Amino acid sequence: MKINRFRGFVAAILAATAVVAPGASSASAATELTFWSWRTEDKAFYESQIKLFEAKNPDISVKFTPYLNTEYNAIVSTALTAGKGPDIIQMRPYGGMASLSDAGNFMPLTAADVPALKKLPAGILAGAQGYKDKKQFGLPYAVSALGVMYNPDILEKAGVRALPQTWAQLLAAFDKVKKAGFMPLGNAGGNGPALEQLHATVGPTFYGGTAFFNDVVAGKKTFTDKGYVASLKAVADLAQWMPANYQGIDYNTARGLFANEKAAFYIGGNYEIGYFRSLNPSITIGWFPAPKANAGAKRYVGTWADGAYAINAKTANKAAALKFLNFLGTKEFGQALVDEIAFIPTAPYVKINDPAVKEINRWRTTLGTPFLNVVGFRFENPTSSSILQPGFQKLIVGGTTPAQLAKDVQTAVSSWYGPQKGKS
Amino acid sequence: MASALRREQNRTTSALLIPALAVIVIFTTIPAVTTLSYAFFGWEGFQRNTFVGLENFKKLFTYPYIDQLLAALRHNTIAFVVIMTFQTSLGLLLAYAMFRVKRGLRLYRVVVFLPVIFSLVVVGYLWQALLDPYYGPVNQIIAGLGFPEFAKPWLGDTATALPSLMFINLWRWVGFPAIVFLAGLNAINTEYIEAARIDGASESQIFRKIIFPLLAPSLTIITVLTFIGAYEWFDLPFVLGGSNGSPAGATDTLALMFYRLSFGSIDSGANNVGVGSALGVLIFTLVGLGAALGSALLRRREVEQ
Repeated sequence: MKINRFRGFVAAILAATAVVAPGASSASAATELTFWSWRTEDKAFYESQIKLFEAKNPDISVKFTPYLNTEYNAIVSTALTAGKGPDIIQMRPYGGMASLSDAGNFMPLTAADVPALKKLPAGILAGAQGYKDKKQFGLPYAVSALGVMYNPDILEKAGVRALPQTWAQLLAAFDKVKKAGFMPLGNAGGNGPALEQLHATVGPTFYGGTAFFNDVVAGKKTFTDKGYVASLKAVADLAQWMPANYQGIDYNTARGLFANEKAAFYIGGNYEIGYFRSLNPSITIGWFPAPKANAGAKRYVGTWADGAYAINAKTANKAAALKFLNFLGTKEFGQALVDEIAFIPTAPYVKINDPAVKEINRWRTTLGTPFLNVVGFRFENPTSSSILQPGFQKLIVGGTTPAQLAKDVQTAVSSWYGPQKGKS
Repeated sequence: MASALRREQNRTTSALLIPALAVIVIFTTIPAVTTLSYAFFGWEGFQRNTFVGLENFKKLFTYPYIDQLLAALRHNTIAFVVIMTFQTSLGLLLAYAMFRVKRGLRLYRVVVFLPVIFSLVVVGYLWQALLDPYYGPVNQIIAGLGFPEFAKPWLGDTATALPSLMFINLWRWVGFPAIVFLAGLNAINTEYIEAARIDGASESQIFRKIIFPLLAPSLTIITVLTFIGAYEWFDLPFVLGGSNGSPAGATDTLALMFYRLSFGSIDSGANNVGVGSALGVLIFTLVGLGAALGSALLRRREVEQ
């Protein structure tokens, strides 16, 4: 008797859920697009933008999944090869995904399908083209710029009145800040890519900016050039201003030190600003371009087309994917990029209101120089980055010398890069 | 009559073995043979290109891969020696203690074995937080005890990164040899031990002359598994150091290098499946030969009860 009552009870529950369930399943008739990225920091931003898109396109839903930055390449390559890649893929610039684009994983984009492409200059478009196959595979969405971010409140407390214009003035400012009891620099050594970005910020003034870039690309100069070695030494010299135990401090902790107003300066890309503000909405951030090496040198702002949106060549939802990609190319999306996460969008006619980003964009257009490793030397193995990232980690603890590191980079690049072959 | 029964038993045994064999063949043998074949071709990303013979193996032994290979091999060997020495000894010590303890055996068994069943990502994240140079309790305790110079960046310093990883590995895995040895200890016929006690042997003599030799089968298993685990160490270095063996390759292992070569990483966008497969073949040969040799040598000293 008890069993029968129990069975009846279970049947009643199942019947009740059967009535409720169909209501839930009708929503799954929509087309679902998957969208992968390496920007875990921007998850909230993309989800709010996706809601706007879905409101205008109720039959399409988009699922945004960011992955850990350092492992994104491996995750995307394996997924694409297994045929399980996402519909919309955030694409690394220049050679970062050369092997994937050359293998036909990304759908070639035409100006007819994606009108936003027509408005972008050639240098920007180049960041999302194949290596061997020069088709346009992605819609570049942002330009990144490198510089020195600072906390004006700390500088005021430390008595730093003028923004440093030369390297010596920068070190003097660090000293003043340290004596006032604050941490000069938030940057640390636990993350190879962050050190590479630090070098790309302060280095160009030492190695000669765009002229050197052109010379190296053409094979007229090598990485063992005195100026380049001096740029590596500059990074080593910054180690003494880094936080205590900097070797073990990872990327997020280092950024956290600046965001939580413990460190006065953070040297890196404008894409960090959004992250700093998400950790500490009340922080004021100032920005100035990296100082010149000495009175006779020039100042530079490292810049490059950073990231593009691509469509999986094997996507089952081509029309929906193109709709979403075109949404990502609109002026409104570009405006949101700058307003909410302080990116510099490639979309034209965007009004930049944020004072820090305004400053960055102003200097970028006049002092811009390509981010050497990203733009020029990521196409084949071993990339200059693969030598420099661990190399910088060794350099800042004295495990190698600037001259040796420069030699290692030259050996690596000359092993595959035509114009540098045979040069040391 | 007896042989017909024997044949029937053999047939049943074979039939029951087929599913397990099928799993091994599909998931282990076939991939291994396929990887061996991949190593002889050139690759364009994930597309196979032309036959290149031993080219990939040659590439593996020249710049820039040879330096990474030697460093990784060195790290794996250090890991094996250290883990074998400390983890296995500590496991044996814990097992013997649990064997002799009068009360609370169940509690000790659970406590010792618990880290083994934790998810590895949880272990990695937990220790990363504990060892954080600024906010981590480990450094705060060390500084609080009056030794601030020892509050180092354990996972960030190239000198202490690998030892830290080995320590975390020990913390996590020591329960495994402990349980295996405990089972081995419980399987020893107590008559031998009692007889020795009656004859007046000391505890240390009993351990050295009776218990330890009879534990040889357990020791064989643990040694071979530790060898394989040390030379295929991937999980902990990956979770704590990423696929590049941060910091500056100090925690690089053969398996990490294989992953990096085959799938690419942030700084070296291009991957090289051919060289990765060649490395895979190398690892397989090394581990296979080592395990077979070690197993054969160790079995000789196993004593029948």
